[in-house]
Amino acid sequence: MNSGIDLEMSFTQGVQNLGLSQELAHLLWIPLPMLLVLIAAVIGVLVTVWLERKISAAAQQRIGPEYAGALGILQPMADGLKLLVKEDIIPARADSLLFTVGPILVLVPVILSWLIVPFGQNLLISNVGIGIFLWIALSSIQPIGLLMSGYSSNNKYSLLGGLRAAAQSISYEIPLALAVLAVVMMSNSLSTVDIVEQQNTAGFLSWNIWRQPVGFIIFWICALAECERLPFDLPEAEEELVAGYQTEYAGMKFALFYLAGYINLVLSALLVSVLYLGGWGFPISIDWFSSLIGISIDNPLVQITAASLGIVMTVLKAYLLVFLAILLRWTTPRVRIDQLLDLGWKFLLPISLVNLLVTASLKLAFPMTFGG
Amino acid sequence: MLGFLQKVADYTQDAVSAAKYLVQGLGVTFDHMRRRPVTVQYPYEKLIPSERYRGRIHYEFDKCIACEVCVRVCPINLPVVDWVMNKETKKKELRNYSIDFGACIFCGNCVEYCPTNCLSMTEEYELASFDRHSLNYDNVALGRLPTSVTSDPSVRPLRELAYLPEGIMDPHELPDNQKRAGLLPTQVLEELKKVKLEEENNSSKDIAPTKINSNN
Repeated sequence: MNSGIDLEMSFTQGVQNLGLSQELAHLLWIPLPMLLVLIAAVIGVLVTVWLERKISAAAQQRIGPEYAGALGILQPMADGLKLLVKEDIIPARADSLLFTVGPILVLVPVILSWLIVPFGQNLLISNVGIGIFLWIALSSIQPIGLLMSGYSSNNKYSLLGGLRAAAQSISYEIPLALAVLAVVMMSNSLSTVDIVEQQNTAGFLSWNIWRQPVGFIIFWICALAECERLPFDLPEAEEELVAGYQTEYAGMKFALFYLAGYINLVLSALLVSVLYLGGWGFPISIDWFSSLIGISIDNPLVQITAASLGIVMTVLKAYLLVFLAILLRWTTPRVRIDQLLDLGWKFLLPISLVNLLVTASLKLAFPMTFGG
Repeated sequence: MLGFLQKVADYTQDAVSAAKYLVQGLGVTFDHMRRRPVTVQYPYEKLIPSERYRGRIHYEFDKCIACEVCVRVCPINLPVVDWVMNKETKKKELRNYSIDFGACIFCGNCVEYCPTNCLSMTEEYELASFDRHSLNYDNVALGRLPTSVTSDPSVRPLRELAYLPEGIMDPHELPDNQKRAGLLPTQVLEELKKVKLEEENNSSKDIAPTKINSNN
């Protein structure tokens, strides 16, 4: 297996050649990918907000934002800037400490989860061994933040929204984890890089979606529920709860919730593409393609094109899923809380368990195709 | 055992049909995305109000005879007719006339009942102002004619539903010479005249025998 471009190694070697120690070179390297991923996440959110507004408008036969930049592309920037300079209000009877910590606790785990999102062979912050498990663990911190902000707002709507968010997150985390477990079982690794590599042996035919169609659907439904996207947006159901746990928030703290929601959506889409759609892999195998045109896979030009196309592939797959999420938003009506919990516990949980068992037995029966 | 299997089968069938409907719904939403926006880009595009549009009221001072019928038919006696009696000519002398559009409900009763037709309804509806007192129009303000949507060079006029040709819903990209469905008001009037004439001719023939019958 070819390891591809390793930017970290080249960077540390370059710095070491300047006469610095290896530790110092590593220390200099660390902030770079973090900053890059943070910028990528924020730009991803801006693009998603713009897409959401434009696609929503198109689905409703409107035009949508138009005057802020070409095609309204700067509208999310304008929105963000407005929230940034808005007055920061803490209600008089609210618990100001919890009220402030809440949104931070919602945002930080989501951003931290970007740690494990691979855009290429070595294009991720850290290839941690527990990989995908880290994301599942981090995403369960979020409901604590939601509950905290809902409770501390000292407002009925906020409290109800916070409770709903917590109930929803907790009940959909289990089928989510079980769906991930089935994938992990097939690739024999928790690391996201390994999961993608195992899928990229024969182009799109080796993607996990063909071996895990049920898991893919379960994962996508649960991801939508975790992001509080429309069929499952009860925690902030405008018609009943004003804005749920965000009701009392304004300015930058509200922006943190907003940002967390969209970063989480992009992250979920990225993880679906990593787990089921072959991550940075192309629909056709790159090895096969390079041998077809007669260039060695180790050719630097091929390597660079492959790496940049890999990033494009990952982002493209993720944004197709974001598009699907937005389309679903305008297609499906909101479920009731009892229907939500019914779906989570009585439908998704048993199905994901069966899926896991079937995957396990298939793995024993056909170790070649199901990663023995 | 069979009952359980039946349950599982029903459940699966439900799930499959739910998925089918969901995909159908997605198809509908997706189809809507490639349709042209139906929205009117307001300050740049405006709908042409219909002939019967009840907008801001226009008033002609010289026609008014200060009869105060408009005040009596108004649900809240809104028009203010300021007149004095000229003892020598024994006639009412009108000094001022005003309507407060902050309170007017644009019902058009005053226009309907005005004996001299000095009141009429315009197509002006942009009455927003920073101060509610500036909505109290005096006879000079009431005498101004609004700019028509069709004559305003900065506005693209768009035709509304009933003014579009039959079967067309979107006013954008419509050639100018396309006529609306049905007859124009002038054509309707002409038609009515014809019908009336025919009826009169018919009735003059019909009346004669009936008279004879009644005599008997």
